[in-house]
Amino acid sequence: MNMKTKTTIAFVLLLVAGGTVEGRIKLVALPERAATVIRLDNPQATLIEEERVLTLQKGLNNVDFSWKSVSIDADSIRLRALDHPENVRLLSVSYPPDEAALVWDISSDGDYAETVRISYLLSNIDRLITYKAVADKEETKVDLKSFIILRNFSGEDFEKARVLLDYGEAFEQGIDHEETKQLLFLKAPDVPIQKIWTFDSDKLPWDPEELENRNVGIPVSYRVVNNTDSGLGKFALWGGKARIYQDDGHESTIILGEDNAILVPVGEKMELYIGDSRDIVVTQRRMPGSGRRVNVQRNRSNNQIIMYDTDEEIVAKIENFKDSPAELTMIQHFPGEWDMEICTLDGNRLTMGTDYKKKDANTLEFEITLPPRTESGPATRELRMVYHRRHVRPNVTPEPTPRVLRR
Amino acid sequence: MKRILILLIIAAMTCAAQAKVDLVTLPTRDTVQLTIYNSADMTLVRERRALTLKEGKNNLQFSWENTLIDPTSLEMLPKANADQIDIADLSFPPRVRNLGLWNIQSGVSGKVPVEITYLTSGLSWRAFYMGTLTENEDIMHLQGYVRVTNNSGEDYENAQTRLIVGQVHMLDYIEILADRDYPYDRPAEKIHIDLDLEGYTEEDKFLLKKELSKIMRNAPRQKQIAKEGLSEYFLYTIEGTETIPDGWGKRLLSFEADDIEIESLYKYDENRWGNQTIRFVKFANDTEHNLGKTPIPDGNVKIYSLTNEQGYLSYVGGTNIKYIPVNEEVELNLGPARLVEIEPVLMDFKTANYLFDPNENITGWDEIRSWKIDITNTRTLPVEIEITRDFGTAYWTLESQTLYEKHDITRARFNLDIEPRTKSSFEYTVTTYHGMRQEQINQ
Repeated sequence: MNMKTKTTIAFVLLLVAGGTVEGRIKLVALPERAATVIRLDNPQATLIEEERVLTLQKGLNNVDFSWKSVSIDADSIRLRALDHPENVRLLSVSYPPDEAALVWDISSDGDYAETVRISYLLSNIDRLITYKAVADKEETKVDLKSFIILRNFSGEDFEKARVLLDYGEAFEQGIDHEETKQLLFLKAPDVPIQKIWTFDSDKLPWDPEELENRNVGIPVSYRVVNNTDSGLGKFALWGGKARIYQDDGHESTIILGEDNAILVPVGEKMELYIGDSRDIVVTQRRMPGSGRRVNVQRNRSNNQIIMYDTDEEIVAKIENFKDSPAELTMIQHFPGEWDMEICTLDGNRLTMGTDYKKKDANTLEFEITLPPRTESGPATRELRMVYHRRHVRPNVTPEPTPRVLRR
Repeated sequence: MKRILILLIIAAMTCAAQAKVDLVTLPTRDTVQLTIYNSADMTLVRERRALTLKEGKNNLQFSWENTLIDPTSLEMLPKANADQIDIADLSFPPRVRNLGLWNIQSGVSGKVPVEITYLTSGLSWRAFYMGTLTENEDIMHLQGYVRVTNNSGEDYENAQTRLIVGQVHMLDYIEILADRDYPYDRPAEKIHIDLDLEGYTEEDKFLLKKELSKIMRNAPRQKQIAKEGLSEYFLYTIEGTETIPDGWGKRLLSFEADDIEIESLYKYDENRWGNQTIRFVKFANDTEHNLGKTPIPDGNVKIYSLTNEQGYLSYVGGTNIKYIPVNEEVELNLGPARLVEIEPVLMDFKTANYLFDPNENITGWDEIRSWKIDITNTRTLPVEIEITRDFGTAYWTLESQTLYEKHDITRARFNLDIEPRTKSSFEYTVTTYHGMRQEQINQ
C-alpha cells in the first residue's frame, strides 16, 4: 500500500514477422493514453474508453494489450479505429495462455498514426451517491446537497479523465488507484418536506405497559417529492446514504438521522426515516369479548369444529405529548376474511374509502391528526374498530397474508 | 493530545496527492462545539478556524490520526465571502490513512473563517437521577444529572457542549466508519452494518468501550443547562464551555425539583412478576409535580429516603426509567415490596353445566373458582393497589362486590386504596367456559 503503483495496463505495438503469438518480438511504440472517459451511468459496471495513437505500418500489425493486477473483463474489450476506419481493420483477437492479455491482429493499408478507441469494463472503480439535507427549524423544507463519491481501487491511475454519469454534464477529474474523491454535484435549496409519523400494528408493540419500562418509538420520516415544485425533477435521484441535519436556530445544526434513499424517478417520493418519536404513544388492545367464536359449524359427528366466525374489537388510544400537532399514519392489518362493522375515531363513525383507505385485502391505512398537548395532559384520540372474522377454519392459515393476532 | 491537524499547503502540481509541498499556515481552532448523542455513539463536532487563503487554488490538508472521526461526514463551509470561495472537492489520497485534501478555489486572499463539521465516536453522555423521599415517603426531592465522557482520542478544550435526548436512526456505527482503511471502503465491499445486529446489544456496545474514568472537580457554581425541543429531540446546552480531555468524564446537574408529591403504588400481576408484590413510586412529569418543563431522558434512578432529622439516608432501591414525555405519568419500579403483601387464595373450585355428545363424551363444561385476595399494609401510609388477574381464555365472566375493569380479552384489573396498618381482603368468583359451552354462552 505504501508503494506507488505503476500504470498496470500495458500497451505494446509489435512488429510482426509471422503473425503468430510467437511473433511478438519487436517493440515499436508504447503509445500514451490520450482522452479517457470513465462512464459511471451503469451502477453494475464501469466502462472505460481510452484513446491511444498507434503507429501502424502497412500490412499486418500485432498489438499486444495486457493488464496486470487490474480486473478487466476480457470479453468486454473493444477496439475501434477512429481516423481510417475503412482502411484499418481488426482481423482477429488472440488470448495468450496464462496471461491477462490479448493480441489484436490489425491490417492497415498504409502507414498511419492511427487514433484508436479501446473500451472495456473495469472492476473496482465506481461511484456512490450521498445526500446531505439540512432541515429548517420548523421542519418545512430542506437544503439538499448531493455528492458523488468516486472510488478507484482498480489498480489503474487515471491522471485525467472525463467522468460521465447518466445525467448532467461530463466533468474532468483525475483519480489515482486507491484514491477516493468526494464532489458536490447537486444543490437544491428550499426543497419542501412533509413530516410523517407511522404506526404499523404489525411492526410495533401494542401495549407499552407490557414492555417493562421501555419506550416504543414511533418512526418519523421526511417525505421529499422529486418534481419541479421542489426545485428538483430534472432527473431521477440515485439511491444512496442520506444524512439529515436540522438548523437549531443558534447558527448551528444537530444531526437528525440517516437513511438509505432508494432510486427516486421524477415525480416520485423519497421517504427518509430519521428516527423515532417517543412523544407519541399508541396503546392498542383487543377488547374483552374479542376472539369469541360465533356461527360455529361442526362436522356430522358433532365432535369437531370445522368453521366459525369471531367478533373482534380493537381499540387504539393515541396520545400526543408533543407541544406541536402531528400527522400520524396508522396501518392496521386484518388476517383472512373479515368485514368491518363499525369504525370510529373519538366516537365519530368513519367510512372506508372516505375517512380511511383500504390499501389491500388485509390492510387499512388511517391518517390521524393529533393536536398538541394541553396544560392538562396529552392530546388523546381513540380509534375503535369492531369487525368480524369470517370462515375461520381451525388449523388452516388465513390467506393471503397470515398474521398473528396479538392480545 | 491534539491529533487533528490542519495544514494549508501550496499546490503547485496537478496531482493533489503529490502536491503536499509547502506548509503555509497551521490554523488553530477558534471555537468548538460538541453535540453529543446518547442513543448512538455519535457526536457532531463543529469547529471554526481562520484560514489564510491566497487568490486562486488552495489545498487544505486535514488529518486525524488516532481519533474516531468518520471521514465521510467531513464538511467545510466558508463563513465569510461564501460567494467567492468554492470548496470544489474533497479527496482522500491513495496510500495515506486518515487524511483528506480540500481543493479550494478562492477569489479573495487573506484570513477567511471556515466551519468544519464532522462526526466522531467516543464521546458519550448519560442521564441519571437521585430521588430523596421524606421520612413519611409522600414527598420526593429529585435531582437529575448528566455525565459526559470523552474517549474519542482527541482533547476538546473550551468546547460548547450540547447533549441530545432522542432516538436517532443511523445506518452505520461511527466507530466502524472511523476505523475503515478507506473512507468509503472499496467497491463491492459491504458498507452498511445494521444497527440492529443480533448479539450487538447496547450493553455489549457499552462493554466494548473503555472503562470510564473518574469524575472531575466541581465547579464553584453549578452550571445551568438550557433545554429546548428540536424535531423529535431535546437539545441540552451546557452553560459556557467545557474542557474534556481524552479519557475524562464530567458530571453536571441537569435539573432539580423539590416537593414532588408521590403516590405509593403496589402492583400484583402473576404474568409479570410471579407471586411477588412490586412497589412503585408514582408521579407525573407535569407542573403539578414541579416538573413538566421538558421530557425526562431515560436513565438510572436511585431512590433514598430520609431516616431522621439528622439527614441520614436509607437506600430504598434503584431502577431504570424510560424516557418520560411532558405530562406523562412515571412509575418507578422499586422492586419487591417488603411492607405490603398481596396473596390470592383459591377458596373454592367446582365444575358445572356438563354437555355430552350422543356417545356420552363430554363436549362442554364450566369451571367456577372463588378467590380471596388478602392484602396487608404494614406501612404507616395509605397505599394504592393494582391487581391484575389473567384467566387464560376469552370466555370468562366475573362476579365480585369489588369494582373491577375488564383490561383486555383475558384479564381483569382491580384498583383499591388501602388504609395504613390494615389487613383487608376481597373476593371474586370467576367462571370460565370450555368446549361447547363457549358456543352456548355466545348465542
